[in-house]
Amino acid sequence: MTKIFTNDVKKVDLVVLGAGPAGVAAANVASKEGAEVVIIDENSSAGGQIYRAPPNEFQPQNSFKSDEFREGEKQRNILENSNLTALFKHRVWSVSSDLVVSTVGPNGLSSWHARSLIIANGALERIIPFPGWTIPGVIGLAASTILLKSQYVLPGQSTVVAGCGPLLIAVANGIIKSGGKVSAIIDLNSKSDWIKAFPRLLSRPDQLFKGMSWFANIMKAGIKLYGGHAVTNTKQVDNVLRISIAPINSAGSILDSKNQKIVEGDCLAIGHGLFPSTEITRLLKAKHIYDPLKGGWVPLIDDDFRSSIPGVYIAGDATGISGAFSAVQKGRIAGMAAVRDLNVMSSQKYKAKIKSELIILKKNENFGKAAVRLMKFRPELIQTITSETIVCRCEDVFRSEIDEAIESGARDLNQLKAWTRCGMGPCQGRTCSEAIEAILASKVGSRELAGQWTGRTPLRPVPIEQIIGKYTYEDIPIPENAPL
Amino acid sequence: MEKFDVAVVGGGVMGCSTVLHLSRNQMRTIIIDSGALCREASGTNAGTLTLNMTRAALIPYAIKGWELWNNTEKWLFGGVGTRKVNGLSLAFTEEEEELLFKRVEARQAMGAPIKFISGRKAQLLEPGLNDSVRSAAWCNKDGFTIAYLTGHAFRRALKQENVSVREYSKVNKIEIEKNYFKIIFENNEHLKAKRIVLAGGVWLEEMLNWLNVKIKIKCLINQLIITERMPPVMKTVLSIANGLLSLKQFDNGTVLIGGGWQGIGDKKRGGVESIPENLIGNIRLACHVIPKLRYGRMVRVWLGLEAETADALPIIGKIPGISNAYVIGSVHSGYASGPYMGWLLSQLIMEQEPEMPLFDPNRLINK
Amino acid sequence: MFNFNKKTIFKYWGGKKSKQSLRVAGNRVVRQAFTTLTIDGCEIKAPVGEILAVTLFVNGKLTLKYSSRIKEPRGFFCLMGSCQECLVIVDGIILPACQVFVQEGTIVKTGINK
Repeated sequence: MTKIFTNDVKKVDLVVLGAGPAGVAAANVASKEGAEVVIIDENSSAGGQIYRAPPNEFQPQNSFKSDEFREGEKQRNILENSNLTALFKHRVWSVSSDLVVSTVGPNGLSSWHARSLIIANGALERIIPFPGWTIPGVIGLAASTILLKSQYVLPGQSTVVAGCGPLLIAVANGIIKSGGKVSAIIDLNSKSDWIKAFPRLLSRPDQLFKGMSWFANIMKAGIKLYGGHAVTNTKQVDNVLRISIAPINSAGSILDSKNQKIVEGDCLAIGHGLFPSTEITRLLKAKHIYDPLKGGWVPLIDDDFRSSIPGVYIAGDATGISGAFSAVQKGRIAGMAAVRDLNVMSSQKYKAKIKSELIILKKNENFGKAAVRLMKFRPELIQTITSETIVCRCEDVFRSEIDEAIESGARDLNQLKAWTRCGMGPCQGRTCSEAIEAILASKVGSRELAGQWTGRTPLRPVPIEQIIGKYTYEDIPIPENAPL
Repeated sequence: MEKFDVAVVGGGVMGCSTVLHLSRNQMRTIIIDSGALCREASGTNAGTLTLNMTRAALIPYAIKGWELWNNTEKWLFGGVGTRKVNGLSLAFTEEEEELLFKRVEARQAMGAPIKFISGRKAQLLEPGLNDSVRSAAWCNKDGFTIAYLTGHAFRRALKQENVSVREYSKVNKIEIEKNYFKIIFENNEHLKAKRIVLAGGVWLEEMLNWLNVKIKIKCLINQLIITERMPPVMKTVLSIANGLLSLKQFDNGTVLIGGGWQGIGDKKRGGVESIPENLIGNIRLACHVIPKLRYGRMVRVWLGLEAETADALPIIGKIPGISNAYVIGSVHSGYASGPYMGWLLSQLIMEQEPEMPLFDPNRLINK
Repeated sequence: MFNFNKKTIFKYWGGKKSKQSLRVAGNRVVRQAFTTLTIDGCEIKAPVGEILAVTLFVNGKLTLKYSSRIKEPRGFFCLMGSCQECLVIVDGIILPACQVFVQEGTIVKTGINK
């Protein structure tokens, strides 16, 4: 029978899922201690989302190179000079309970049996739906940064930038620096929210200074900034998006819906904060807790970033949103914890080495806390999801259908899914989970009671062409015949 | 404390069908489930109504079941997306052809409208088939439902018939009192019932144990794979001679691949995870049958638990040695015949002669 | 469906709807190599390294597919391979355009589920 996997399933000391700042840090430190390490990422090179590399064929001029570009180059160099196996363009579709990681990549299927696993798959962007959010031209803030930083393309001729968090200001600034135009900035946070964040932002004066220069650029460009406002509606008229905005309070409740203002642009870049990606931890049935100050559902971890599953560690934003700087320390600690648990590193050495990491982590985490507070979910914002608004984009499920199902007795997320099909499409609920969980929570009492969707393979859709490989009929290992 | 005429423990298609009929005959009924109705085997199976994959002995029952699923407006008042389409069981090799012939004969003897046809004729019925198909078993009384809609449909029907529905309530034990049964829940609440029906699927072994009746029930962990919506690639329900493929495309374009390939799990933890080699084998088989499948993407895999007795035949009837106690389950591909099996048991409970013979649990005691 | 000579660079998209000016200009970034692929029957030139979703976008194709039940036009949303909105047919296979890099001779079809 032809092998299913292109490699023999090898046992390795450590597999790291995700080559963002946390994953790279973890893999590098573990490899330096002598562990055999494999790091896997679906992108073409390291950097995750924040340090995502532009293609090699694109040459940015030196003056145009951003801090993130340079930091990303550093990360990619670290990996190149490490003695570990880096698998890029490999998509992980399954992780079994005995830590066998199955990937689909340029050469077909591969499998790696990990003694330890570090999950550093980062975060996803939250979006709370509103009428018109599905119109082409309405894109995420994260999508805008990918356009700007890794493709050098503007999101529109004149973009309305909306949502919350540092990403809002970063995108607006990125558009200006790339020679584009920002119609307006619609910020869920008010001026006082930003002022409250100030003390924590001081933990990283270099970043604070950078942020303030971004603000200055925005002021200089004369861009109107609507603080404490949310997008409530978007309509397309010819090639223009007419975007209605309304003031909100700190809980996200719409104030004065009668006097909404209209802003216009040919693109609406909008995102309501980041939340940890729990696809893999849910698949492994790790324990999770709901912590709004970490971005939402997070895997339960100890001080050394061990999850509730033996041999599985979490690093970076996957532990809770705290930014790229914290990610490096978290990755290093998790990497060292893993090699210590494998007895590749002594407990003594471990305790000594993480001391300095913890100090830097505290500083970076403090900064990160400010960022996550600016991105925290506002439960009342679900008011923008009117009855006629699509909530599940994959299956075209309306708010009215979700409300109806809850009324007729669906009281947990999986029941809601069976009754409305929400979450059954190719994105498996990644896009709508925050909105649907929040709607259900508002009826059953809490996010904990609403629950989470059961994690299943494949982690992302896998082309059948790639999963079957080349085979003959005789190759198929057919089990025992069914009874007559 | 309330006293019911009948309490059904287990809210799958067997339990729901039984209690629906009893309630329509003026019995005061309650159905109990540790989770939500029809969320285990009854909600996670492939929804296939094919006679090709039904065991020969169960063919007459499956035919009745097929008729019921095609008439849900009359008894369920809601639909489960039933589609009546041709069913084909296929042979690609000489051995498979021989096996197929035997299976067709056995099922024809039990009254199944199945014909043995050539590969070419099969391709006329199903143009998407691989050219290498040699022969097929063709059944025109075939089709499928959308299994995950079953719970919602029964829920509405049961509520309409004033069946008490008690979900998310785990039963810990049943005590036999003088004139009734005492059903005791995990939270120490209890209720009384004159009669009980155990309809707990893969958990029947534990349930029968409450009453000191020992019957071994095997728990299968079936893997099911669904693709994203695709352009139409097939229009029949397909299986293979050895019975190990189940393949259909729903109206919404998604393709469901199954056939009994096993995953990892058990009665206690439920379906835990799939086995990658078994997923790949299953999909390879599906792609061999319908080559155009390779242009789609696999979107989700889930696991369904299935109960099986030592002789792979159902246990339906009186629980040996205990009056007013009944059991129903382990039907093997029981979703299709479920509504009919429930009807038969309800006849027995109402002291009528069941329309077709039941399956005496006594034969399996201690086996 | 229009019938154009496959060898013609599709001017329709290059007109009012083209967003090619959204590619950041050469004074900031130089795109070194180019490749040609076919989109909905028309030959399109794109820089090597560009993501297919972006190529479609700058060539005015904002609508990539139609949604499952109500058949609403949809375009890319997350660009990270998560939302699955940017599905197009690439050499016969349904794939998210944001996960595909442009390559010489690729045949792309948009408009799934119209």
